[in-house]
Amino acid sequence: MTGQTVMLAVSLLLLAPLVAGCLSLLVSGSRWLHVTNLISIGTLVGAEMVIARAVFAQGSVTAFADLVYIDALSSVILFIIGTVGLACSLYIRSYMDEQVARGVIAPKRLNLFFFLFHMFLFAMVLATVANSLGVQWVAIEATTLATTFLIAFWRRRESLEAGWKYLILCSVGISLALFGVVLMYYSSLRVLGDVSAALNITQLQQVAAQLDPHIVKLAFIFLFVGYGTKVGLVPMHSWLPDAYTEAPAPVAAMLAGVLETVAVYAILRCRGIADQAVSPEFTGGLLALFGLISFTLAAFFILVQHNYKRLFAYSSIEHMGLAMVGFGVGGTIGNFGGFFHLVNHAFAKSLAFFAAGNIHRRFKTVEIDEVRGLTTVLPWTAMALLISGLALAALPPFALFNSELQILTALSSSGLPREWTQPGTRFPVVLLLLCGVVAFAGLLYRITGMVWGSAPKGIVHGEQWSVGHIPIVLLGSVLVGFCLALPDFMRELFEAASALLARR
Amino acid sequence: MAWLTPHIATQIVDFGSAMLLLTCFAIVAQRRLSACVDLFALQSLFLAMTAALVAFFTDTRHIYIAAALTVVVKVIVIPRVLKGVIERLNVTRELVMKVNVPASLLICGALVMLAFFITEPIIPFGHLLTRDSLAIALAIVLIGFFTMIARQKAVTQLIAFLMMENGLFLGATAATYGMPLIVELGVFFDVLVAALIAGIYTNRLQDTFDSVDTTRLNELKA
Repeated sequence: MTGQTVMLAVSLLLLAPLVAGCLSLLVSGSRWLHVTNLISIGTLVGAEMVIARAVFAQGSVTAFADLVYIDALSSVILFIIGTVGLACSLYIRSYMDEQVARGVIAPKRLNLFFFLFHMFLFAMVLATVANSLGVQWVAIEATTLATTFLIAFWRRRESLEAGWKYLILCSVGISLALFGVVLMYYSSLRVLGDVSAALNITQLQQVAAQLDPHIVKLAFIFLFVGYGTKVGLVPMHSWLPDAYTEAPAPVAAMLAGVLETVAVYAILRCRGIADQAVSPEFTGGLLALFGLISFTLAAFFILVQHNYKRLFAYSSIEHMGLAMVGFGVGGTIGNFGGFFHLVNHAFAKSLAFFAAGNIHRRFKTVEIDEVRGLTTVLPWTAMALLISGLALAALPPFALFNSELQILTALSSSGLPREWTQPGTRFPVVLLLLCGVVAFAGLLYRITGMVWGSAPKGIVHGEQWSVGHIPIVLLGSVLVGFCLALPDFMRELFEAASALLARR
Repeated sequence: MAWLTPHIATQIVDFGSAMLLLTCFAIVAQRRLSACVDLFALQSLFLAMTAALVAFFTDTRHIYIAAALTVVVKVIVIPRVLKGVIERLNVTRELVMKVNVPASLLICGALVMLAFFITEPIIPFGHLLTRDSLAIALAIVLIGFFTMIARQKAVTQLIAFLMMENGLFLGATAATYGMPLIVELGVFFDVLVAALIAGIYTNRLQDTFDSVDTTRLNELKA
């Protein structure tokens, strides 16, 4: 493959959402908006495939005078952005049109929705491919700004509240990450001299071992807290359930499936540098500890939820915590499990939010107790909810069980990093197993309650096939397919990415 | 300029940073919203001056650009937007505070000490000129963080956020003589958009809740 093709792919990757965003403001009529959207996301996916091949062949791709850097780690994240983005775009087609038809929003506001949606996509792609830690920060803050109006899109009291909370908490969190970036620059300048490339990941990785451990330690703590807020790790998670509940279903799917993953990516990137300067024990311990806390608390929060969207939100916190444990413990198995978990979670959670969107449109309520008898009311959605729910509860043979098992294996074989616990402590493993059972029971209990039973009176029965069902069927079959086998290219991608992280 | 020894230059930059810190305390002590905005504009002016001084002493061109942008964005545009927002509000003062003013000031004093304590091990590595500014920058960030928690009006929270951003900018100037230009431009863009968005939000909150008191935002309970 020639360098030019790759360059073209990289520029298309960044241009597609940007151009589509601007076009969305210009064209009128929902049909053209959807066409623009689908073309843009299709281009994005195509470009990703070309880049992924190049990454396989060369190990990494740099472009535009080192402004763009893509390796296996970023390819995994790009893969998630592309697939979940495509599924969301298809789902938006029927979801948004119905909202317009019912008069919930004016047709004009659809333009704004697509503009923000594309800016959101663009910011996430930029955060994933940026070589400079500074540009990465700018892009992640831009995701906050683009999504805050998407969360408050219905303009109800509750959605304004959720949007404000999200804007303030995430902006503050991410300001702390900027301080971390400044400190990282501070340490790298002393090694690299005053060059504009001193924040570049490619440069930092080369000189990481010479960076001053005190400064990098402090920088990593700030970066971790900042980006951890976006991931929704536990002390900084309070915006997350509100935002997921109030956001339109496709947006919630993007937030849960993709944005969290991008934030995890930012943390992993910084970790790759901090590992060599400080010690993998320190950074990994921080990740694993916060992951464990998130997992534990979210598991118990799942038990007390009465609102199905909040239920999924807390399940997001739980799964992100678990993936963090995987990355924190590290090693080949831990990292592989972490990546596999991220991908599985992205698919299952977006499917869950699509189902939630359908249920909400029919039942007009988010209370779990008022939703009964989905099998008769919305058979396709019931199927989707069941598949995603069982997958999220990590019921074998679903792949989330596999990835959980991998993370658990990694944890029990090497334990939490030394710096944080006494060697040979079995407590984290027991805690993980216990909370896994709690979350499993909680999720299963709530979801089976919604799926079976007799439907409340006055609810229209039957489900009409629409474009929005395509992504549901696709994601559902992918999740079921993962039970049987993991495609080779994905396994290789995960292995390459874990090898990058495990490199000392 | 023979009188301009490195020692005096350090003193001047330290003085500028100290003025930034001082305005932080003034904002914490101020109840009137419009005065808070004025103080924020003043703080940004001090920031631009400090950055320009650093640029002058170190002969780093691109910090001048950042300083000029600070004047345009944080001294002129954002305060104007905020003033416009405040005019539409029915409340112009912080009436109820979670932490009263004297206690807030004491806490902020403690935060300054904390900032010096945290940065102590890494300060000796810095440039001579701006050594102490890094600690002051962290202090401003922490005070902004605290103000955000302790105040309830959406506007005050926004000012606190911008204050944090000022602290970060001072940190970047102090620790590293500015970030790469592309990053700095991006940060300015983000801050500007964040302020505009928060301004629009404040208006909507006013329209919907008839108040910008964020304690009224309590309909979403677990």
